[in-house]
Amino acid sequence: MAISDALKKLFPKSLWVYHVNVGACNGCDIEVINVLTPYYDAERFGIKLVSSPRHADVLLVCGPVTRQVLPSVKRVYEATPSPKLVFAIGSCACGGGIWHDSYNILGGADKALPVDYYIPGCPPRPEAILYGVAVALGLAPKKAAPVHTKQKFLEMLEKGEVPGPQLVAPPGDSE
Amino acid sequence: MTSVELIGKLREKFGAAIQDVCELTPSKVRVEVAPASVVPVCEALYRDLGARFLITAGIDSRAVRGCFDVDHIFSLDPDKMFVIVRASVPPERATLDSITPRVPAAFWAERELYDVLGVKAEGHPDPRRLIMPDDWPEGLFPLRKDVKYGDWPAVGGENADASYPWKPAPEGTSTVVVGPFFPVLEEPAQLRLYVDGERVVDCDYRGFYSHRGIEKMGDSALTYNEIPFVAERICGICGFIHSSCYCETAEEAMGIRAPRRARYIRSLMLEVERIHSHLLWLGIAGHIIGFDTVLMQAWRVREPIMWLCEKITGNRKTYGMNLVGGVRRDIPKEVQPELLEVVDKIEKETVAIVNAVIGDTVLKARLSGVGMLPEEKAKELAVVGPTVRGSNLPLDARVDHPYAAYDEIPPKVITHPDCDNWARVVVRLEETIESIRWIREGLKQMPDGPIMASDIPEDIPPEQWGVFVVEAPRGEAIHYVVTGGDNRPARWRVRAPTYQNLQALPYLIEQETIADVPITLGSMDPCFSCTERTEIINVRSGESKVLDQQELLRLSREATERLRGR
Ligand code: SF4
Repeated sequence: MAISDALKKLFPKSLWVYHVNVGACNGCDIEVINVLTPYYDAERFGIKLVSSPRHADVLLVCGPVTRQVLPSVKRVYEATPSPKLVFAIGSCACGGGIWHDSYNILGGADKALPVDYYIPGCPPRPEAILYGVAVALGLAPKKAAPVHTKQKFLEMLEKGEVPGPQLVAPPGDSE
Repeated sequence: MTSVELIGKLREKFGAAIQDVCELTPSKVRVEVAPASVVPVCEALYRDLGARFLITAGIDSRAVRGCFDVDHIFSLDPDKMFVIVRASVPPERATLDSITPRVPAAFWAERELYDVLGVKAEGHPDPRRLIMPDDWPEGLFPLRKDVKYGDWPAVGGENADASYPWKPAPEGTSTVVVGPFFPVLEEPAQLRLYVDGERVVDCDYRGFYSHRGIEKMGDSALTYNEIPFVAERICGICGFIHSSCYCETAEEAMGIRAPRRARYIRSLMLEVERIHSHLLWLGIAGHIIGFDTVLMQAWRVREPIMWLCEKITGNRKTYGMNLVGGVRRDIPKEVQPELLEVVDKIEKETVAIVNAVIGDTVLKARLSGVGMLPEEKAKELAVVGPTVRGSNLPLDARVDHPYAAYDEIPPKVITHPDCDNWARVVVRLEETIESIRWIREGLKQMPDGPIMASDIPEDIPPEQWGVFVVEAPRGEAIHYVVTGGDNRPARWRVRAPTYQNLQALPYLIEQETIADVPITLGSMDPCFSCTERTEIINVRSGESKVLDQQELLRLSREATERLRGR
């Protein structure tokens, strides 16, 4: 079963999201809030920002994970009831961004929590955030098919044409 | 007073304790003093000459001169002058007398000095850790040059279980823990309120959850021209002020100046940024006290600004326009009519919101008389931006220390005599309108010409310096650059406005009710986000009660409702 079908089953109603800043510069955070304001109005898709992780289905994580924030953000994750989704919003949350090798930074959001979806950008546009969530939920069709590029890259790797890290296939989305 | 007179006065008073004087420009002087005299010299500057403390920068100069340099930076606003008091201490005995007992505004700066460089402020009233994470090993100071970039201690080392040494709760009070994820603030931080019933008796703060070690990157990993892009990411709301401030500072240290047109473009973008930031803040402030219409309207009005920024710079935020020596993109002629059109539209709508807010009696009653910060106290704590202007002090870096194009078009400085949350709201609203006026004026007067300096030196000699302040939407941001080798600074010091403003928080919320804490905090527009939970521990019975963020917002909003019902 495709992930988006599974998600439709798991989250059949409105999605409640909780926003966590784990060391962001606020750029991503204001774009997340922007998604809820009149021009973008995420509430029309049933997406609602809640103020406690205990009420949330989705965590929107912004920023690179700092050492000081690590224990707190882990507690936020534990407090969120399952099933839950984690979105890494912004280049920093996707992989540490420009701060990745600084002394107080552990890296992207996946250094602290299991991340399900990545929405890059510095900061990502409100449209990108909405689109990312909608694609994940199967509300919008995927326009790009990353599968092809990935396969090409893997082929090249096998032939030894591209030196680089081993690619890990994303979890079972076979669309 | 000129710099010559100032130096004369200091020499007369302190004689041989003034070891050396370095005059960068007539408005920027660095005075080297004997370490033993650092306290009296700083006190004389602060008390007798009316200087305002800005920040302390510690520099590891062991490789150059065999010492640590500690630079206390002051500003003499009426004389438009910066004075740096430098004391050098030997590495074997890295301590210096604390100036905090005499100059209270140095409270955090000296704690940070120890955290990052290991120079101890002897006699500091509260030498707890400020910046570094709780699990950071003792005795490892990241800004020392012998700490190699990338050689960081692993998480879960010797201090893995360390927790922050909170102030003990005063007798008979309960503790309310707020954060580290909190709705009013855009960055995580933890606040403990010690309350007696509904009243806040005292509080303690643990911040720097978002500390990213930018200064170390600046002096070990980046080059002069990479820093503007990182500087812009210090803050996603007012990042442009940081890149502009850094560029002006680095330009000064290199002895160049951006062309006039580039300076106009900087000022224009700075004002555009101020409008977006103030409208954003207005929305959040409305949300805190239960006026969600204000949130939706303010952000709706703000959105065209974001589109415009994208048109001019290629990005909605984080413009990437600045380079040392000028700007990367021009504002083309074709965009100008559109810019004016957007500005007209925003002006009309902002005026409508401002009138609605200022005319709202409930709002006024909710905000007046709360979070009082009298003039004298504001001066002592050296708060900045709308926070100080709300306390009736006309302090604005655009006028006091003009940069970019503000020497040619000075803005009107907006103050308010009420010294409370209401005053700070009104100041910001009026400033938004003033920024719109400035943009029109700026576009009219913007000269033609190049946007990048042509005389940028190939080799930048070490040990040159520059210091600048830029008026951010939240107050002054300060950058201080000392040049080094390898095409990067030896030291790049940044102070964001909230750093100084937050230190006033204990004073502001003392004796207020818990319901007023969110908006008082919000009235300073602190740059930091979101409540994981709020835990109330009753010290007397040892019981603890967990409130979530909604509860706190509910308290705040109920206070508004009570007024509405009256
Ligand atoms: S991705 Fe960019 S905007 Fe987002 S937190 Fe990082 S630096 Fe800021």
